[in-house]
Amino acid sequence: MIREKLIAKINQIFVEQFELEPAELTPEKRIFEDFALDSLDIVDLVTGLQRQFGISLRDNKDVLAIRTLQDVYDLCEKLVAENPDIKAKLSD
Amino acid sequence: MPEWQGQIPVGPDYVTAAPVELPPEMSKSIKRHYRRSMGNAALFATLAAQTAVAQSGLSAAELSGGRTGCVISSTLGSSSEVYESTKAVIEKRFNELSSCQFFRIVSHSSAFNVANFLGINGVQLSPCSACASSLQSIGLAYEQILAGRQEVFLSGGSDEVTPIVVSSFRHLYALADSRELTPQEQSRPFDARRCGLVCGEGAGIMVLEEYEYARRRNAPILAEIAGYATNCTGSQISQSDSSSIESCMRLALDDAQMSPEEVDYISAHATSTVAGDREEAAAIRAIFADRVPVSSCKGHLGHTLGASGALESAAVLEMIRHGVILPTGNLEQIADDCAGLNLPLAPVQRQIKTVLKNCIAFGGVNASLVLKTPA
Repeated sequence: MIREKLIAKINQIFVEQFELEPAELTPEKRIFEDFALDSLDIVDLVTGLQRQFGISLRDNKDVLAIRTLQDVYDLCEKLVAENPDIKAKLSD
Repeated sequence: MPEWQGQIPVGPDYVTAAPVELPPEMSKSIKRHYRRSMGNAALFATLAAQTAVAQSGLSAAELSGGRTGCVISSTLGSSSEVYESTKAVIEKRFNELSSCQFFRIVSHSSAFNVANFLGINGVQLSPCSACASSLQSIGLAYEQILAGRQEVFLSGGSDEVTPIVVSSFRHLYALADSRELTPQEQSRPFDARRCGLVCGEGAGIMVLEEYEYARRRNAPILAEIAGYATNCTGSQISQSDSSSIESCMRLALDDAQMSPEEVDYISAHATSTVAGDREEAAAIRAIFADRVPVSSCKGHLGHTLGASGALESAAVLEMIRHGVILPTGNLEQIADDCAGLNLPLAPVQRQIKTVLKNCIAFGGVNASLVLKTPA
């Protein structure tokens, strides 16, 4: 349930920020090649995730390893697991 | 003498044109990848550039072949985005801003956004000079083509109305604020009841081409640039003076190798401020007396600031096409200090072959462009 909410919130960023269609958002999609995002967009993705979850991502080196949408889900899931407050919010 | 001398606006309310509300589908016709780095000024410029390129028939290969440049400017890159950035810094939430925020506010934002959108990879310049910006852009593109640097230019300007801009004019007592006039009547260049300018916004973009290049590709040639000049007062930052405006017009005519008698119409800068219109009227009177019809587009459009030179030049091209000189909007009673000019109060049917277009800006900047109909 938490994972579904997490994915929905992440997908919301991709739809609102990058104007992608919800149907395009499948986990295996490559951020740069399939969504045509670039390094500036990654800055905005980090900003969007920070705003959405109230976490600090800017200096997290794992961000540099993001290649697919699945990578974004996994990274956020890991951060949520480490942060009981966010986990509690997603459980509401 | 200060701009506001003799005219202090009444009341606390100021009048300004309503900001342009672009239909969402129009904005979204520019893909997000390009739109993300645009403030409104750059967005206006890009939409106008798209239309200009379509009218010119230039191909994508011509735009990206290295012989096409881009000279577009504005008063500020985007005053609305400057406001947003400053607010974010003060509120300590700068990290929430878009990665493209700085690209929206830098002074050459309109130039590089248009170049990026159209794939233009030649010379890119942005001679920002407030209200003379777009006429200086056209002039600079003309000079670059004359020097053989490029064969084609997208050139012009764009600007947007925000509280930063309007409040600045108001602070200088240069904003129209008459309780006796409706909002639509406030902008009235050369009129006895003029009391300041009305801010507008938008963009004007032109395609300039080396003449033979344009002929070879059968381009629709709307007009030729015959001459151009720009100068400044060197003594006053808030307004220009009749002496330097007169010099600028004479320099432009010299560049065009034309005499004042050859000019059929003058499209004045005339913003409806008391001092500005008076100084320009004196300069025009000194060269042309009352022989040449003079009007200002700002009674119709308001003062579109950095866009005004190119936007009003586009209006001039339409006047040439239709063979009609439009009078100054809202001009009813010619002011004593603007008398002695040929200021039509109604449309004048006339074949127009040569036009002199003026722009005047903060910094004491003047620019004059001479346009003529194709040979």
